[in-house]
Amino acid sequence: MSASLRATPSLSLAESLAEAFANLYAQRERSALALLGILIGTASIVAMLTIGHMAGLETLKLFRHLGADMLQIHAMPAGDAPAGVLDRDLIERLPATDFAVLAAAPLVVDHDTVSAGTASADLGVAAVTANLPRLISLRVSQGRFIAPIDDDNLVAVVGDQAAQRLSAPGAPLIPGSKVGLKGYEFTVVGVLGSMPYTALDPMDINNAVLIPLAGARRIFNPPNPTTALVHLRPEANVKAAGQRISAALANPTATLQVVSARDLIRGMSAQKALHSQLLTAVGAISLLVGGIGVMNVMLMGVMERRREIGLRAAMGATPGDLQLMFLVEAGSLAFVGGLIGLACGLGAAFVTARAAGWSFRVALWVLPLGPGVAALVGVAFGLYPAVKASRLSPIEALRAE
Amino acid sequence: MLELIGVKKTYGGPARPTPVLRGVTFAVEAGAFCALVGPSGSGKSTLMNIAGLLDRPTAGAVRLDGETIEDASAAEAAKIRNRGIGFVFQSFNLLPRLSAWENVALPLLYGRVPRSERRPAALAMLDQVGLGERADHRPAELSGGEQQRVALARALIRKPRLILADEPTGSLDSVTAGEVMALLRDLNGRLDVTILMVTHDHDLARRCDRRIDLLDGRIVADSAAA
Repeated sequence: MSASLRATPSLSLAESLAEAFANLYAQRERSALALLGILIGTASIVAMLTIGHMAGLETLKLFRHLGADMLQIHAMPAGDAPAGVLDRDLIERLPATDFAVLAAAPLVVDHDTVSAGTASADLGVAAVTANLPRLISLRVSQGRFIAPIDDDNLVAVVGDQAAQRLSAPGAPLIPGSKVGLKGYEFTVVGVLGSMPYTALDPMDINNAVLIPLAGARRIFNPPNPTTALVHLRPEANVKAAGQRISAALANPTATLQVVSARDLIRGMSAQKALHSQLLTAVGAISLLVGGIGVMNVMLMGVMERRREIGLRAAMGATPGDLQLMFLVEAGSLAFVGGLIGLACGLGAAFVTARAAGWSFRVALWVLPLGPGVAALVGVAFGLYPAVKASRLSPIEALRAE
Repeated sequence: MLELIGVKKTYGGPARPTPVLRGVTFAVEAGAFCALVGPSGSGKSTLMNIAGLLDRPTAGAVRLDGETIEDASAAEAAKIRNRGIGFVFQSFNLLPRLSAWENVALPLLYGRVPRSERRPAALAMLDQVGLGERADHRPAELSGGEQQRVALARALIRKPRLILADEPTGSLDSVTAGEVMALLRDLNGRLDVTILMVTHDHDLARRCDRRIDLLDGRIVADSAAA
C-alpha cells in the first residue's frame, strides 16, 4: 500500500499556478503591497544593469572615436605669463624624438564671432595643422581638408553645425564661400561631416572653424599652440610617455597638463562602478525588504487560512501539497512584482539614456534575470510560511475561527 | 470495516496529563449507519479525529478495512483520507472563493484526477445530492441546507467507504436538519457507504442503525452490544 502511495505524482505546476493566482487575487490589496517592495528592488537592479550596459557601450564608442592611445597636453599659464604656450616645432618633431609617439599635432583653440554674408555666429576657432585627421577621425563631406600648401593662406574648413549656422536661406555655406574672422576674409575649402562630440575631444569640431596654424599669428595673440594632440604606439606606456613628452615640451610660460584618453575612460568607469554599486545596494535592500514583505503577507495568509489549510489536509492534501501551494503563491507574487519591476527598470534606463544622450540599448540577458531573481527571493522568503502551513495540525486548523 | 482497539488519547505533558479517551474499543461493520452520542467533553470529536487520521492515539490501534493505520506518516495519512474517508463538518467548511462544483472537486485535485475529469464528476455528485442546478453558485449564495449538501457531495466524490460526520445538522434548523438526515440515510443505503455520525440530537440518533454512548472517554452504552 505504502509503495503505491509514494508513487503518486505531485500536483502539476499549471494547476498550482492557477490556484495561486486565484488566492492572490482574493487578497489583492495585500498582495499589491507585498509586490511593491519586490517591484522597486527588481526595477533598480534592472535599471542598474541596463544603464551599466549602455555606459559600457558608450565607453566603447569613445575608444573607437579617439583611440585609447591618445594624449592631450594643455598649456596652462604659469606665473606672470599672460598665456601658456607650446613650441610648434618641438611638437611636430615628437614622432622623431620620442619612440612612443606615432603622430603629434599642435593646435590653438579659441572662440570668436565668425560671419558669412549676413549670417554670423559665435563659434569655436581652431588653428590646426594638415595632419590633424591622423589623430582624430574627421570626415570631409564637401571640398577638402587643410593641406600643407595652405600653411600661410587665408583658408578655412568649417564644421557641420557651424556651416549650418553660417548659411543663409538661398546662400548655403559651401567650399568657395567666404567667412569673416577678426577682420580677415577666409575662403572655405571644405565642410566637415557631423561627428560625435565626446569628452575626449579638445573642442566641439562640429561647431568650429578650422584654419591653418601658420596663419594663426594674424588672429591669435600669442599665435603659438596651446594644445598638443599626441598619438602613441598601442604598446606604449602611457604614463611614462606623458612624463617624457611634457618634459620635452616644458617651457617657462606654461604649466603642462597631460590628459590621457585612458585616464578619462578610467575616471568614467570608476564613476559608473560607483553608481552601479549604489544602485545594486538599493536594489538588494529593496529586494530584502520586498522579500520580508512577501513573508509577512504569506504568514498572515497562513494564519488567516488555517481553517482552509485544515480542510485541505482533511480532503487529502499532503504536507508537500500545502507547502507547494504557499511556495507557488509566494513565487508567483514575487514574479509578477519582478515583471512590473522589469518594465519600470527599463523605463528608468530609457529616461537616463535620453538625459545622457546615449542610445537606448537593452542587454537581452537582463530580461529573464529581473523577474527570475524576484521569483527566487519570493520562494526563499515563502519557504518559512510554507513549512509553517504544512506543519499545522489539521484539527487545530479546523477548529480555528 | 473500522475498528478501534483500546484507543487512548491523553493531552498535556507527562507532568499534568489530561486523559480524553480512556480505552475505547468498538468496530463498525461495512454499510452501517452509526451514531456517536455523548455530552461535550466526552471525547467524541477526539475519537472522530483519530478515526479520520487527523490525530494519533496515545495508545491502541486503529484499523480501516483490516489495515492498521494509526502510525501512518503525514503524507500516507493524507492519501488514506483522500481515498477512503469523507468528512462532513458541523460548519460545512466550504471554501467561499470556490463555486459549489469546485468545492466538491477539491478532493479530486489532491487525488490527482485530471482537470478535465473533475467537473463532470463533481456535477454528477451534485446531482446525487439534488443540487445539480446550483453547481456554479458560491457557498454564500446557498442556504445552510444546500451548503451541507455540497459538503456531503464533496465527502462522497472520491467514493470513500467511510463517512465521518461531526454534528452534520448542528448548524441547521430542524426541518433542514431532517432533510439532510434523510439524505444521509438515503446515501448510506444507495451508495453502500459506512457512516459514523456524532450528534447531540437523540431523535437523530434514534434514526441510526446503532448508537454508541460516550462519557468521560469511555463507551457507556452500545446498542449493537445490547
